[in-house]
Amino acid sequence: MELKKGKNIMIVTIGLICFILTYVIFIQFKTIEETNITEIKTMTETDLREKIALWKEKYEETDEKLKQTNETISEYRKKREANQEAIELLDKELIQAQLLVGETDVKGDGIVIVIKDNEETTEIEETTEIKSQVLLHLVNELNAAGAEAISINDQRIINMSDIVDIYIEDGSHYIFVNKEEKIVSPYVIKAIGDPKYLESALTTKTVGFMDIYSENIVSLERQNNIRIPKYSGKIEVKYINMEGEK
Amino acid sequence: MQQILHGKNDTENGLRDQVLRWKEKYDRAYEDLDNAEKILEHERKTSTSTDSGSIDKQKRLKQLNAYLGLTDVTGAGIIITVQDNTSSKLVTSRDLVHDGDLRAIINEIKNIGADAISINGQRIVSSTVINCAGAIVQINGEEIGAPFVIEVIGNNFLNYNIARPGSYLYYMMEDGIEVNIKKSDKITIKKYNGVLTNKYIKNAE
Repeated sequence: MELKKGKNIMIVTIGLICFILTYVIFIQFKTIEETNITEIKTMTETDLREKIALWKEKYEETDEKLKQTNETISEYRKKREANQEAIELLDKELIQAQLLVGETDVKGDGIVIVIKDNEETTEIEETTEIKSQVLLHLVNELNAAGAEAISINDQRIINMSDIVDIYIEDGSHYIFVNKEEKIVSPYVIKAIGDPKYLESALTTKTVGFMDIYSENIVSLERQNNIRIPKYSGKIEVKYINMEGEK
Repeated sequence: MQQILHGKNDTENGLRDQVLRWKEKYDRAYEDLDNAEKILEHERKTSTSTDSGSIDKQKRLKQLNAYLGLTDVTGAGIIITVQDNTSSKLVTSRDLVHDGDLRAIINEIKNIGADAISINGQRIVSSTVINCAGAIVQINGEEIGAPFVIEVIGNNFLNYNIARPGSYLYYMMEDGIEVNIKKSDKITIKKYNGVLTNKYIKNAE
């Protein structure tokens, strides 16, 4: 009897220990999973160096913007103390916003890429006729390389720009950008930014844009003083509630 | 445990510390900028006169900053949730939501008509990059995973048109990707967590 009771206690104890161990293991797994996704992730040295460069750049940009903002604040204050009109300060802020949004023609150094439909049929269907997805891919790559202004066949690409395929009944296909602008091959894409950086981002071996779409590439060159026109339509804010003052 | 979490060698540990340090520095600078922008808005309002010309200019500046993604905005729109196909026994590439899928969906949203878009809180701005980083997606340099919650302030037809037959979402749903679309009268979309630079572009007018 005594022996059996002791055995039972042992079984329960072992059971309990097993349960606790399983529980702890689960918690550990969960913790690792969470940490993985957020911060610590098992990154390689190269990944970590890239991350450092990214946050350092973001910090420097933010710090620069902070300095500019503080400067503008003190300029407004000075005007008020001197009892002067601050309208030219407001104009200055407006011009800056228009520059960023795409409401002004801009110039600067960068790259110009020309791509075209491939008349010969190739085994890879995608490389025959250029579809909107190719241009979307290119815009994304240029942004990743720090492009500050982009145009496709002189249509300025702005924040809410779309690039879509339109198929006609006879089977032909067109690309439309900015809702109503039809563009056709060859496509001339201009991007202003660091020319070296832009070029090297596209010419990465195998996975770079130039290698993926090699059948369509006509040219890629760095250029100084590229001119990119402003957005052809009017930039309107239609759906955001602008009255909702905070 | 520490060993596993903190990697194999000291170099990597040092690098990890640096990542965190720079991110912290950035977070602090961003917070300062946020405060400075509030002060600036106040200064602008009290320093400029009340004639209709300046009021129009202030209004336009506000609109452009909203469009650029530099301010928090509110309006009516839709919330789309896109989730990997979890019912599939053998998960293949087609069961997962990729960076290219998100770019295509965002493009169709813009085509129908929108003023502001975010994915898992990341505001879409002109310089936004949607890339893949291994098994996860990177937007504006931040890593995000499924489910992807796309919030849109845009036109009334979004609700019907975004998943109409022939649309990108329609085909994704046919492939078994879980898509949920909800209309909302009031959506608030946070501002971009970075700055838009103009180091290379110059005004040419």
